[in-house]
Amino acid sequence: MTFTDQEILETVRMFELETLDIRTITLGINLLDCADPSIESACEKVYAKIVHHGARLVPVGREIAADYGVPIVNKRIATTPIALVAAASGAKDLTPFARAMDAAAERCGVDFIGGFTAYVHKGFSVADSALFDSIPSALAETQRVCSSVSLASTRAGINMDAVERFARIVRATAQATADRGSIGCAKLVCFCNAVEDNPFVAGAHIGIGEPETVVNVGVSGPGVVRSALERLGPDADLLSVAEIVKRTAFKVTRMGELVGREAARRLGTTFGIVDVSLAPTPAQGDSVAEILELIGVERTGAPGTTAALALLTDAVKKGGAMASSSVGGLSGAFIPVSEDAGMIRAVREGALSLAKLEAMTSVCSVGLDMVAVPGDTSVATIAGIIADEMAIGMVNSKTTAVRLIPVIGHGVGDTVEWGGLLGTAIVQDPGRFSCEVLVRRGGKIPAPLQSYKN
Amino acid sequence: MPRRFLTTEDLRRLSAAGQEIVIDEETLLTPHAEAFAAENGLALRTRTGGAYVEPAPDRGPDAERAQTTLPNLPEPKDEDSATSLVITAVGKNRPGVLSEVTTALATSRASVQNISQRMIEGYFHLVLTVEIPPESSFAKVKQCLECLGGPDDYVVRVMHERVFRFMHRV
Repeated sequence: MTFTDQEILETVRMFELETLDIRTITLGINLLDCADPSIESACEKVYAKIVHHGARLVPVGREIAADYGVPIVNKRIATTPIALVAAASGAKDLTPFARAMDAAAERCGVDFIGGFTAYVHKGFSVADSALFDSIPSALAETQRVCSSVSLASTRAGINMDAVERFARIVRATAQATADRGSIGCAKLVCFCNAVEDNPFVAGAHIGIGEPETVVNVGVSGPGVVRSALERLGPDADLLSVAEIVKRTAFKVTRMGELVGREAARRLGTTFGIVDVSLAPTPAQGDSVAEILELIGVERTGAPGTTAALALLTDAVKKGGAMASSSVGGLSGAFIPVSEDAGMIRAVREGALSLAKLEAMTSVCSVGLDMVAVPGDTSVATIAGIIADEMAIGMVNSKTTAVRLIPVIGHGVGDTVEWGGLLGTAIVQDPGRFSCEVLVRRGGKIPAPLQSYKN
Repeated sequence: MPRRFLTTEDLRRLSAAGQEIVIDEETLLTPHAEAFAAENGLALRTRTGGAYVEPAPDRGPDAERAQTTLPNLPEPKDEDSATSLVITAVGKNRPGVLSEVTTALATSRASVQNISQRMIEGYFHLVLTVEIPPESSFAKVKQCLECLGGPDDYVVRVMHERVFRFMHRV
């Protein structure tokens, strides 16, 4: 098969100049067979099984990167929700499971492991409740463990009791890691319509319908889309913009498909999905906000931002769906505030408020992600922000998530440096009015009607 | 029915009962249990009589089928024995660049299928498609070529042809 010079140079440019990479290869491991009446034995099995299956993940990732000349940034592990695995032990404190996961992740050489998870969108089992209570200590004591919970779904509605309880957990986690900029909350996320094959942390875990082991791949590529739009120029109409994003997403997705298949083949396991997400990093040029600005808003957060983001998310999905029959996960555009240089600038310059960000999440692929709020934000306000986001997901039948960081000791406008991929945050203002009564009522918000769509 | 796992607690119970500890082929002995056995001098025997060897990971019932049922993508039908690579070199032009690259290729027994070069604003862009025989390793060829040139001279990049096939063919 021959290729034109343009095709070849385009690919080389994507890797060399436009920071195209495979963001993550995530190996999903089912841990249900690790359940045991003794918590010590259960943790031992969890450790043994993760290491047994995950030991080859990092070497295989390196081999593929070397053999294909494609950079693979992260190798990660996702597990069955630990609340399910821990239930048989009857333990009240599930931190030992987090320690076992952390030790196994370290042994496998992966930077994050997801799956300290519970599904409570309709209610709590005894183990779910124990998992909730263990989250602050689990995240404070471990380096690599990520926790996620499902609080709502389009079919079940919003479990407001769980939302309120989760808000308290967020605050407790922030307190437990107050000496490190409340970083524990960066590893903690809640979902409406949680996806069970998400390769990206902090929400990575594998649901109960997934195979014994499965390789899921997350691609990235905001830099590639940004350069393509730069070359297109400001005079092209929006159909052309959508078209160029679609074509670029196709190419990026195909890289994910290639790496995912190869990883599954070499590990001898099942290839699950490619998550076609524009996932920004704090690196220069690797920003979703800059794409929105190239589409035509002066700063992210200006009027028109939601429309531009809707176009972008949809075009990415369309290109991805053409490129691979196994698109899954969160697929779309991520807007994590602290991890995106353009978003940070927009917040710093006062262009992007929390309210506008919330509007944007109704068309992006995830939700309120990596948003810093003042350390003294009340539980009710945190619960209110989460409930709003869950409502957007529930009514629009889409996945929404909240990763909120109340930074202890910091107030509105303060800058918090987390470093690395987590970036820099500017503490945002959640407003001064309360939703105390709404949250105190508790109970559930019923699932929405699925017809009469207006 | 063979156990899936053998934990420290299992070993404790079996040794307290004075039972002989026999490990099935597919049983996974946890690292904790292995350490416990070593500390306490417990004799672990496998069914075949040899020392315990960690079994190959059982990736589940879907895994085997998954290897052979991938949907159609731009892959060659008959598995070609030779590996195709695409090599690009970009840098300031000077005499001898092409010769350096092709000499390195010759030592790797690679054969050139296609070659083109163009000048853009004083910089040359060299693109070669080559095939390497099955006995040459991709990693070695890549390493040998990518050490050519230098920061102020030219930069070589070697990529597998599959990357381009996946990216540019529907």
